[in-house]
Amino acid sequence: MGKKRKHSETQTAEPRKKDEGAPERPKRTLMGWKDKDEVSQQTESTPDSPQVFRNKEKVMVTCSRRINYRYRHLMLNMVSLLPHCKKDNKVESRSSKGATLNELIELRGCSSALFFECRKHQDLYMWMARCPNGPSVKFLVNAVHTMEELKLTGNHLKGSRPLLTFSSNFEKDAHWKLLKEMIIQIFGTPKEHRKSKPYHDHVFVFSIVDDHIWFRNYQISVPHNESDKMVRGGLDKMTLVEVGPRFCLNPIKIFAGSFGGPTLYENPFYVSPNQIRALEKRKKAGKYAKKVKAKTRRKMHEQSNPLEPDEFADMWRE
Amino acid sequence: MGMADGSKDRIFAEGEKERTKREATDFHAMGLRSKDLSFLQSEKAVEDNVDDVMGDYSEEEDSESESESDQEDVKLAEPSKTAVYNREGLVEKLEDIGWPENVDWMHKLSLDIDQEKEVDVNDDLARELAFYTQALEGTRAAFDKFQSMGLPFLRPPDYYAEMVKTDAHMQKVKGKLLAQKRQIEESEERRKAREAKRIAKEVQAEKLKERAKQKKQEIEEVKKWRKQRQQSGFKDGKDSMPDLGFEDGKTFQRSSKKRPGVSPGDRSGGKAKQGGGKSNNKNKKNREFRNSKFGFGGRKGMKKQNTAETTNDVLAFNKSNAAGNKKRKR
Repeated sequence: MGKKRKHSETQTAEPRKKDEGAPERPKRTLMGWKDKDEVSQQTESTPDSPQVFRNKEKVMVTCSRRINYRYRHLMLNMVSLLPHCKKDNKVESRSSKGATLNELIELRGCSSALFFECRKHQDLYMWMARCPNGPSVKFLVNAVHTMEELKLTGNHLKGSRPLLTFSSNFEKDAHWKLLKEMIIQIFGTPKEHRKSKPYHDHVFVFSIVDDHIWFRNYQISVPHNESDKMVRGGLDKMTLVEVGPRFCLNPIKIFAGSFGGPTLYENPFYVSPNQIRALEKRKKAGKYAKKVKAKTRRKMHEQSNPLEPDEFADMWRE
Repeated sequence: MGMADGSKDRIFAEGEKERTKREATDFHAMGLRSKDLSFLQSEKAVEDNVDDVMGDYSEEEDSESESESDQEDVKLAEPSKTAVYNREGLVEKLEDIGWPENVDWMHKLSLDIDQEKEVDVNDDLARELAFYTQALEGTRAAFDKFQSMGLPFLRPPDYYAEMVKTDAHMQKVKGKLLAQKRQIEESEERRKAREAKRIAKEVQAEKLKERAKQKKQEIEEVKKWRKQRQQSGFKDGKDSMPDLGFEDGKTFQRSSKKRPGVSPGDRSGGKAKQGGGKSNNKNKKNREFRNSKFGFGGRKGMKKQNTAETTNDVLAFNKSNAAGNKKRKR
């Protein structure tokens, strides 16, 4: 069982009483081993601001068992984009998913999860969840292009911190704000992460168009003249090359608990892909029935209104 | 599979029955037990009261009947009536998970870009352009911030580290790009060659016409001169010869035409001698031999050789010419 993790935001330092008895062992704090006195001194000296904020976000990335090759590559791309993630084995889909997944997340010591669920080898659903008791979202993923496509020609450092850009629509409504916060926490690489690299050479674009969240990943490329760190030809010559992957998220529901719980938001425009397929089939099914009906109708009509005998009918008869 | 960009989503009117049915199946899929379900129903009942404030999303218990079968291709015209929207819950959760207020921007690295105009989802180019401009503006803004903070931003060109795509992959990408460029160039060249050929043909036609005209003119002139001379009874001396253009003494100079190997009387345009000098001698001999064997009806088999005429002819030949095939027609 993983050790109990402090919630990453508990920064309010509790005021500690001075110890009366024997001096305790130096306390291990976020800033390393410190003597108890130092800790209390520090907390007393800065009562207003909490201790240094450290983003200790860890994301667990898994998928369901019968996943498609394209979606598996998408998942692997996400693993390579997020250095603060842990990839886990496939999960069975028929068991009680919520409990299993929550247990898994606790086991790995992660604080969030990205779960790719593929149904019928055709539809990909993505869950973004915050582990202990946080909200979770279920998305339908469309328009997937992985990084392996040769038309996406950019490349960037593996593990460099991305810049996250959001369109202004994210401030329009409460559920978008919640999604924005979750995206920042999951997709943003923590600042001093072990596997993170120093420079910022790629940008994520999250943009809401037509009630879908579109994701793009671009490499920032500036033509180099000299070899010094600061800008060379100026910002004007900066170009963005697409690295990939690309996908489009359609939010289905937001739940209050992790992989379950009461529904906080339901997308009123969402139509499940099964229903779309069923409707298409029904449309096609109607064609033949209509044809048969039209035939019988014509026959009845002809019978009820007989034509006058044609005077030219016998003209060509031999 | 990844569907075509969002186009399949925008279809179809729905019946309420289906929505509630799907809701139930979704809950089952999430592995909630039945008592949780009942909890949810009560929660929903609670929300009924809470959500009176919302305009659009008023809730109804009765499901609508499926009367929209004729509206198949219309996007869900009105939002489904039983959509849950718990605004307070959402805000509460947001506060729960949000980072503390005074967190440095460096941790979040998030930028909000204003989207000026509505982008049509189906217009691929416009949509991608909108994303690109959003990213570009965001990068510029971030760059300014980083510059003001004095932190490094761009990657220096000599920083080598593991990249997200392998070198082999990038080689493939490069190969593909180069192949595309080559294709474009080749098609350009082919088009240019076609154009040039057409133009050259036109120019050549012009030139031929010119020459023909010139020739005709000269013949006319000569005729005129002869007629003139005839009319005036041949009484003039050589004084009134027409200026035929070869009396200036320039004839013995090389003509300024730049075809040195071609004689003026050559009707093949100077191309008769083409085909390289290497195979010339062999071909000439070959040609002569074949001409003698098959030309002008060919040899006609064995004829009398030592007749009166031939004995007389042979004696007149040089010794060197006698060498060679007697059968060859001379």
